[in-house]
Amino acid sequence: MIGAALLVAVLAVAASTASGATKRSAASITVWLQVDAQSGWPGVVAAANAAFQKQHPGVTVNVQYQNWGTHLGKFDATLAGGNTPDVIEMGNTEMTKYMAAGAFQDLTSAKSSFDNSGSWLEGLAASGRYNGKLYGVPYYAGSRVVTYRTDQYKAAGIKSAPKSLAQFTADAARLSKKYGKQGYSPVYIAGTDWYVAMGFVYDFGGKIATQVSGKWKGTLESPKAIAGLTAYKNFYLAASKASKTTDENRPTPYSVYAEGNAGSIVGPGWFTCCVGDKYKGSTAQFVMPSHEAGKAMPGFLGGSDLAVPIGGNKQLGADWIAAFTSTSSEKALQAAGNIPNSTNLLNTAKVGERAALRSWFVPAAKNWVNVENGNILRTMLSSILTGKLTVKQAAATADNNIEYTLNAS
Amino acid sequence: MARDADFAVPPNAAVAAEALPRRHRRFSLAPYALILPVAAAVVVILGYPIYKLVRISFERYGLFELIQHQGHWIGLDNYRSVLSDQVFWDTVVRTVIFTAANVALTIVLGTLIALLLTKISRWVRILLMTGLVLVWSMPVVVAVQVFYWMTNFENGVLNYLAAELHLVGSNHDWYATPTSSLAMVTLLIVWGALPFVAISVYAALAQVPHELVEAARVDGAGALRVFRDVTFPVLKPILLILTSLSIIWDFGVFAQPYLLIGSSHIDQTNYLMGVYVFIKGYADHDFGRGAAISLLMLVMVAAMSVVYVRQMVRAGNVR
Repeated sequence: MIGAALLVAVLAVAASTASGATKRSAASITVWLQVDAQSGWPGVVAAANAAFQKQHPGVTVNVQYQNWGTHLGKFDATLAGGNTPDVIEMGNTEMTKYMAAGAFQDLTSAKSSFDNSGSWLEGLAASGRYNGKLYGVPYYAGSRVVTYRTDQYKAAGIKSAPKSLAQFTADAARLSKKYGKQGYSPVYIAGTDWYVAMGFVYDFGGKIATQVSGKWKGTLESPKAIAGLTAYKNFYLAASKASKTTDENRPTPYSVYAEGNAGSIVGPGWFTCCVGDKYKGSTAQFVMPSHEAGKAMPGFLGGSDLAVPIGGNKQLGADWIAAFTSTSSEKALQAAGNIPNSTNLLNTAKVGERAALRSWFVPAAKNWVNVENGNILRTMLSSILTGKLTVKQAAATADNNIEYTLNAS
Repeated sequence: MARDADFAVPPNAAVAAEALPRRHRRFSLAPYALILPVAAAVVVILGYPIYKLVRISFERYGLFELIQHQGHWIGLDNYRSVLSDQVFWDTVVRTVIFTAANVALTIVLGTLIALLLTKISRWVRILLMTGLVLVWSMPVVVAVQVFYWMTNFENGVLNYLAAELHLVGSNHDWYATPTSSLAMVTLLIVWGALPFVAISVYAALAQVPHELVEAARVDGAGALRVFRDVTFPVLKPILLILTSLSIIWDFGVFAQPYLLIGSSHIDQTNYLMGVYVFIKGYADHDFGRGAAISLLMLVMVAAMSVVYVRQMVRAGNVR
């Protein structure tokens, strides 16, 4: 019933405001950014606004901060109502569905106005391209690394960061032996953290899904993917005491770490923000090792794109994006701990940026978000870890569901 | 209730109307003019959205159509695809079982608390009533968070107690299986719904005639017998209303399961109807299919309510 009521509400709004769709003053533009910018790099936003206003005197920039959990619902409402923002920040996994539905304006002709557009990070640039056209400008990326307690590693006799998965597993056993009270995880990984688990799949040469002559095919049953999932299961069982069915949001790995219940955690590089004052001085990071010694395990390359929704002012929107993704902006973003959008700005002396060199990304299918919403991968992981299904059975079920979801019209 | 309706029209007025010439009554537009604003408001607030909902349920209405502001007529395709989807039927069965369990627990426990309220001293009653009202006034989202903390895997008080009492060796995952997580949701919903039922039934208990109870006692009836033959018949109308309301609420419940199980764990093994329609309609951007599902839900709830409404009317007539 609630669903019905919500549906009615949104559609009623759609019907009543559709007529006033294109009326907007050019004297101001509206920009939707995620709160990360507000808390992490407000200076970059202010500098971009100033640069933009130098180019367009008299045009005010109205920056509205959004949350990841609710911004798509709000965006849908504005698409229905016709009062879309002029610029919107989108997560890179969210782009494809909206590009396919025609929610954004084609920015291909403006490409040369964006700094470093010839050397954008391919993983990020791909998420903003659809049918060969540019809809999303890479904003920044974030890679995944291991954050660990230097004091515990030292005390357990671990001299250097592990160079292979086998080494990491052995180190976990050492930590466990030294600190193994109830609830302590040498490497805390939430059971259904699919960002970590799929890294194992890609490390062993597997993939989530591929497109075969226009149709999507789930490929988690392939021998390589099975090997990856099995390796994940073994590593998880050896190293993590997290709930087998929980996700990385409840609780967040860094809060487990801050409570002293984890020797290391796997996740975005900014996890160091929240490890607690007590452990701030004894925290460092390394790149998650591959099963092949000396290599890095591919990590999920998260990130954001900036797009101009239909109904927005294309010229002003594109100019603001150009100001916000300029070389100086990207350098400031890098200083704040992010990965800049271009390879020529990368600094591989930094752990996170080294990790970004070997990364993976979700299949570029317009329905991919529905796979995430349906928690298909999480369900697979929890049935593998709890032993409800064998790796093969769970992968087969997931493949079926992925194919059904991705190939739906 | 029917009794109130009787009082709504004073006997004098009825007599006066009877006395007027019939012709005069027929031409009076005043009553219709008076209900016109209400009728108009109902049509605008309820009628138009429902019309829109019905129309969209016959259309392909996804993100693309949302942007174009134009659905694409596909007849019964949405209904066909929903009704042939095994997930839909699994969800219906799960929701019916879930609703039955929740409503039964709510009504039985609520009645027991109401009976308890009549047996205890004034101060204890005030204390208990205050507790019930506090529960009733707690916002759902806050209650969900408190329940989640208590059942938390790492630091929950439930796991702490279980460990102290040596019931479990290591932390127990209360959300490990669909049954277990839905049981947690049931706990939360029943806890939240008890005050309303308990206080309503307690009020109704005041209507049970003391003489009848005493007479039954004198005739040798035990506590159970007194409840069955004296108290229950008086409570029946209010219990029917509470049951039908609870069914309507629990069948479409959304906030508690969605928030307590958590959006990362909602999947086809633990969907309830309210959550299912949200995921299909909103998260997956298939508004047409979502509209079809919500209309099917409406039909189901209406069908369930008919039985109770009929019985309610009948019970009212008898009295």
